[in-house]
Amino acid sequence: MRLDRLDRWLGPCLVALAAIWLWLAFNYIPGARGEGEPGPRAFPVLLGLLLAGLGALMTVFAFTPPKPGSAEERISPVSRREAIIVAGTFGLLMFYAFLLEKLGFVLATPLVILLAMRGILRVRAWTASLLMAGGITLACWLIFVKLLEAPLPRGTWRWLLS
Amino acid sequence: MGLFFGSIPGLTFSMALALMLPFTFGMQAVPAIALLLGVYVGGMTGGSVSAILLGIPGTPSAAATIFDGYPMAQNGEAGIALGSAVIASTFGGLFSLVVMMLLLEQVAAIALHFGPAEIFALVLFGLSTICGLAERSLLRGLVAGVLGLMLMIVGLDELDGVARLTFGTVQLQQGVNLLVAMIGLFAVPQVIGTFIDHGHVEPLKLPHDVRARLPSLRQLRERFWLMARCACIGTGIGAIPGAGGPIAAFLAYDHARRFARKPGDFGKGELSGVIAPETANNAVTGGAMVPLLSLGIPGDPATAVILGGLLIHGLHPGPMLFQTHLQTIYALYFTIVFAYVVILAVQIGGIRLFVRVLQVPPHILAVCIIVLCALGSYAIRNSIFDVYLMGLMGLFGYVLQRLRIPVAPVVLGLVLGETLEKQYRTALILSEGSYQVFFASGTALAFYALTALTIGLQFWSGARARARAAGRKAG
Repeated sequence: MRLDRLDRWLGPCLVALAAIWLWLAFNYIPGARGEGEPGPRAFPVLLGLLLAGLGALMTVFAFTPPKPGSAEERISPVSRREAIIVAGTFGLLMFYAFLLEKLGFVLATPLVILLAMRGILRVRAWTASLLMAGGITLACWLIFVKLLEAPLPRGTWRWLLS
Repeated sequence: MGLFFGSIPGLTFSMALALMLPFTFGMQAVPAIALLLGVYVGGMTGGSVSAILLGIPGTPSAAATIFDGYPMAQNGEAGIALGSAVIASTFGGLFSLVVMMLLLEQVAAIALHFGPAEIFALVLFGLSTICGLAERSLLRGLVAGVLGLMLMIVGLDELDGVARLTFGTVQLQQGVNLLVAMIGLFAVPQVIGTFIDHGHVEPLKLPHDVRARLPSLRQLRERFWLMARCACIGTGIGAIPGAGGPIAAFLAYDHARRFARKPGDFGKGELSGVIAPETANNAVTGGAMVPLLSLGIPGDPATAVILGGLLIHGLHPGPMLFQTHLQTIYALYFTIVFAYVVILAVQIGGIRLFVRVLQVPPHILAVCIIVLCALGSYAIRNSIFDVYLMGLMGLFGYVLQRLRIPVAPVVLGLVLGETLEKQYRTALILSEGSYQVFFASGTALAFYALTALTIGLQFWSGARARARAAGRKAG
């Protein structure tokens, strides 16, 4: 896809984002208490207007015909594989956060590594995946818990036993 | 850590800094900042290893080192190229440290007299460095900067104590944590990129039996003045927020080629072509510390993380730092010297270790980084919410990357936004709503002029690059 084609929808999207931002600012942030005094809303409104201006400028540039001989920039389209990997990685991070809270670091980490190895990277060998899961968890535990004494999540899994 | 992250193409030392910072919380201020500075200078130096051995820069600052470093490796001179690079890096770094020591207090003493309007103008100038970080499109860079400022808005307003756009969420009252945002924005898109490349990219082919060899005294003596000039270029460029290592390295390389007796040798494995950019990109480190420590203005994402580290450990960069924490400043000087000595020893003696590190499959490192991202985000405030937030920021960073919107200005907006807003409002409150206060002092006007100059130069260089590209296409 040509970059200017992308900008034809990115520019209006930024204007729309700025409009939502301004609506939120006017509805959820109180204004100034005294006259002439910039309140907590002043700066967010300024930023909303700035983003709207930049979005409008991008739209105008995108619809302006390029000068003859000017370089044409292109971006690669999002493939199905890429979309799956992006969604998978994001989902994995969210799931890791959930597991850290519920199971704690020691149980959540190997599970997430196994998921990453087999689910996203498609590593077939169980031995390699298990070694990675155990090795990284052990190394992190030694470095962060034992060496740096960093508090890591311990989980709330004990409710399972009650 | 810095050397490790710097030497592996794709892993940036900004990412290493963001991942390391949460684990410094339990340390005293000096060791914590020493760790960060060590990662910073190590990262800047480590980039040359893969640039020379593989022809791929470990960091953008090492891109100019490829022109002659890689041909040297192909000619069987990898050892001398690596040895010279580390000597040049150490020279550049220590030279800039001396300049930094001489300038810091003077700049800070001037800044001591700044009022809210002057600080506002100064921060605005700092933000104009977005132009330098905007990669190819200034417009996209400005959009990224505004998005960063918008993220900064979320949370409790510092002056009035009003919750802004928190929607009743207690965790959001403290705002989007800078480090959580940095971990997400820098590390997660990198992990996704590695996963996408997995199985589609050829494994790296490294030369066998690599040893770093020190250059002879004659080789160094012949190039001493070149190193000194390149160190000056690097220190000067480093002190300009937003310019950074890559610009300094390319300028130094160009300088070395222009003034060489045989410019035709450049690009074919000329030693000066390795020494010049490596001296300059490491000299950037000391230069970048001048605006960071004396004015609180970070010039690039890496110094922005260091700024975050200083603030977390109760060290507020700016003129008052020299009044209240002078001993800490001296300890930091010593740290940088020590870091360079260690880097010199490790790179000369342990180059085989780096070759091994470069052989670690990137997808294995990516899995380790996922774990580090989550643990680092959690460790900042012992909050699972921050792990979720990091994931969201990571997705946001990836979307920005795909839309060709640079991530570095978002971070700069997040870092400088709070001060910009606070000083803007304080100045207006003190002047009872009169905007004249912003134009009343010569210092503020000078900063506005510098801001306009920075933006103007970026427009000019962008237009020139487009005209050149058009010329090439037509020709």
